[in-house]
Amino acid sequence: MPVVELAAVTKAYQDKIAVQALSFRIEPGQMFGLLGPNGSGKTSSIRMMIGITAPDSGAITLFDKPFERSSLKRVGYLPEERGLYKKMKVLDQLVFMGTLRGLSADEAQKRAVEWAKKLDIAHSILKKTEELSKGMQQKIQFISALMHNPELIIMDEPFSGLDPVNATLLQDTLLELKAQGRTILFSTHRMDQVEKLCDSIALIHQGNLVLSGRVREIKSRYKRDRVHIEFSGDDSFLRSEEIAEAKNYSGHAEIRLKDGGDAQKLLAEAASGATIYRFELMEPSLEEIFIQTVGGNIDA
Amino acid sequence: MRNILLIAKREYLEQVRGRTFLITTILLPTVFIGVFYLSFLSGKNSGVGKHIAVACSNPALGAEIRTEILADTEAKAKVDLFDAEMPGMLMDSDRAKLVAEVNDKTIDGFLWVDVPAKGPVVATYDAQTAGDFVTAERLQSALNQALLRRRLMESGVAASAADALLKTVKVNTRQVKNGQEVTSNAISSFYSAYIMALLLTMTTMIYGLNVGRSVIQEKTSRIFEVMLATVRPHEMLTGKLVGIGAVGLSQILIWVGAGGAFAASALGAQYLNGNLQIHISVFQIFLFAVYFLLGYTLNSALFAGLGATLETEQELQQYSPLAALPVWISFSMILLISSNPNSFWVVLASLFPPCTPIVMFLRMGSQMPPLWQIGASIALMLVAIWGVLWFSTRLYRIGILMYGKRATLPEMMRWLRYS
Repeated sequence: MPVVELAAVTKAYQDKIAVQALSFRIEPGQMFGLLGPNGSGKTSSIRMMIGITAPDSGAITLFDKPFERSSLKRVGYLPEERGLYKKMKVLDQLVFMGTLRGLSADEAQKRAVEWAKKLDIAHSILKKTEELSKGMQQKIQFISALMHNPELIIMDEPFSGLDPVNATLLQDTLLELKAQGRTILFSTHRMDQVEKLCDSIALIHQGNLVLSGRVREIKSRYKRDRVHIEFSGDDSFLRSEEIAEAKNYSGHAEIRLKDGGDAQKLLAEAASGATIYRFELMEPSLEEIFIQTVGGNIDA
Repeated sequence: MRNILLIAKREYLEQVRGRTFLITTILLPTVFIGVFYLSFLSGKNSGVGKHIAVACSNPALGAEIRTEILADTEAKAKVDLFDAEMPGMLMDSDRAKLVAEVNDKTIDGFLWVDVPAKGPVVATYDAQTAGDFVTAERLQSALNQALLRRRLMESGVAASAADALLKTVKVNTRQVKNGQEVTSNAISSFYSAYIMALLLTMTTMIYGLNVGRSVIQEKTSRIFEVMLATVRPHEMLTGKLVGIGAVGLSQILIWVGAGGAFAASALGAQYLNGNLQIHISVFQIFLFAVYFLLGYTLNSALFAGLGATLETEQELQQYSPLAALPVWISFSMILLISSNPNSFWVVLASLFPPCTPIVMFLRMGSQMPPLWQIGASIALMLVAIWGVLWFSTRLYRIGILMYGKRATLPEMMRWLRYS
């Protein structure tokens, strides 16, 4: 029973098609990545999933039922466009959002305080939102999306604008929620994050689905033609006939083998003139797969 | 319903706790009463304490004109009788002398009365200020009174009989209400209604614009996307209208309470008498609340829709004359309304929803409009509100998610079609 299912969903704004015949499903407990460059249709798809806009055609099901507003109480949403009431105190704001999602005021306050402690912003809970840094405000929105214990968590570009410490903190929180069985959809154009966190992905480009499925399975469809090598000494092996493309950084190189290129031969050539510390034959990254799939035609 | 109340409560608390609410609650009536009292005082004191010279080719008539002017004790005028170079004749050199005195500011002005042997009397008033129509009015009355007295006496009427004939009578105003005559003070009734109309104008305008501003602030802070994942657009709009409307009503209640307490106090009794007596009935207070709510909802629905199509508060300011337009129309009719409150054009204006609250209250200053007209005006306002809400909710639903630039008219038309 999928938590979210899109079946041939299409949405157009005037003459611009934002999403075209998009289909994918998100299973319970999955961490799902909705990927694509800016303007590819990720936010439009999410807005339709939670009823902010309606699809022109196709069907959306939430919790195995056609979309209905009452299902939204089971969803936590962090939009890409962050929004908070600037003049409100943090605690008031969280209580307000909690009560709108069906909590009692007391319960909302209790949970707001718990989350604030967990995300290390308890000291700011009585301040006005406008007095806080951007990163702190992002944490408040994060809490606001999660404090009603949603079964489905939708996060649009959740780590953008965060410093590495806070990004890791929120990333760990998401992993914790996943471990508790929550289903998480997050949309991003940062494919390296998805590769680390997600079980499954849907990759969209100009409103069309170009790839979908489990990350492991998608990657296994592509050949291992990437070599990372750490070395010292003679680098003439980088001009080997086995190589299609090589990037030489100081002490290490990233290599793409030719079609039919032999990695073992390359290793032998490298070892003949240089000292090898690491030689790894790798599968392509999601970013490389994406570029390969859409032919480098990315608009952002 | 729960969501609407939660949103209304948030709007209400945020506005009431804000500094603007405190400032407008105290400052607005203070400035308002100050301006009103000043205009009342300046009206009372206009044309008072003038130093005037009377130059008349007939010295006896000149003296009588002087007496008549001095008889008006409210004017507190100082009047000199001009000695012409050739008694019984006014010459250009006399006029030049008087003009020089006005120019030197020795006198405020002079009344020049030429009484030819044959033909009509010619009178002019030369003064430092061009628009002193109150003094000109007083001088004209004094001149005509003196001239009439002189003509009567020249026709053989004895001086005492002439005085008796010329005795003026003051007309007291009374109003017929429900078949009964009641003593009325036209000035105080008018001022009471005028104040209520002005208050109504300001509050409906301010709070209507507040809704527009609040929509733009939420749009700028991108809160809509978070909210719309939980509540429907119409719940957001309704909550906002209810919350901000409640703020307006609270402010009015504070003013009415403070005003009532002042009127009941000894200090109030000392000031609020005569022309400053307050003439407001309970029914008028009830209608004030009704017209406030209707006027506010009409304005705020309009500005909520408009706000959703705009990006900045500065852009909203450009549209504020739209809210002021009915006010200009209504107050431009003020003379007609006070003198003829049941004329066709006045009734029409009072039934035109944007003008209804103001014109109805200005009419009440002269006469309480018939109940059917009050009922019809409320019904028409409700229809207008329904119409404006129909457009606004459609613009609002789409506009709040459109960021980046002000919507053009063709875009707005498309939004209406989408909805």
